[in-house]
Amino acid sequence: MVIKKKKIFNRRKVCRFCTDKSLMIDYKDVKTLRNFVTERGKIIPRRIYGNCAHHQRQLTEAIKRARQIALLPYAGQTQL
Amino acid sequence: MRRYETIVIVKPGAGDAEFSSVSEKVTGTIEGFGGLIVRNDRWGLKKLAYPIKKEAQGDFLYVEYAGMPDGVKEMERLLRIDDRVMKFMTVKTQDVFTPDAPKAEEPETATAEAEEASE
Repeated sequence: MVIKKKKIFNRRKVCRFCTDKSLMIDYKDVKTLRNFVTERGKIIPRRIYGNCAHHQRQLTEAIKRARQIALLPYAGQTQL
Repeated sequence: MRRYETIVIVKPGAGDAEFSSVSEKVTGTIEGFGGLIVRNDRWGLKKLAYPIKKEAQGDFLYVEYAGMPDGVKEMERLLRIDDRVMKFMTVKTQDVFTPDAPKAEEPETATAEAEEASE
């Protein structure tokens, strides 16, 4: 019987915004927000990047605002 | 007073004169209600993430100001009527705001905005 050894990665992901205090979340800053949405424009869950709850909340707010004013798409790729 | 910022997307076909008339309308109504303009920027023609009123591009106007809710309400009413305006959004950034305080931090944020616009 083969015992499957599950590899556990214990590298703790740290919130990007907590480590770098100068990084501000702003809905007008599309370049930063682009990192946190998929190609199709969906918001990436915080388990992927390890954002803290506080900053993830700010991030979603910012992304939704950016969508409202057409800086980010609601869905789909922008034709480039 | 409260601190607000408003982004207005003006139709790209409208000329410079039309754009400045929209801009004056916004700033005029805010000042008429005793508000104070902190910043008035034109981001220029930008590609929209999705078409608005069948337009793929929009001329962005960004205004940051201190004002009262009544002024915002009136300004938004006027923008809704205006045909040249495709879309607008107002965000409250601070609950209590004295317009003299942010002058020191103004230049660096202004340059950041300019970089974004030049892209």
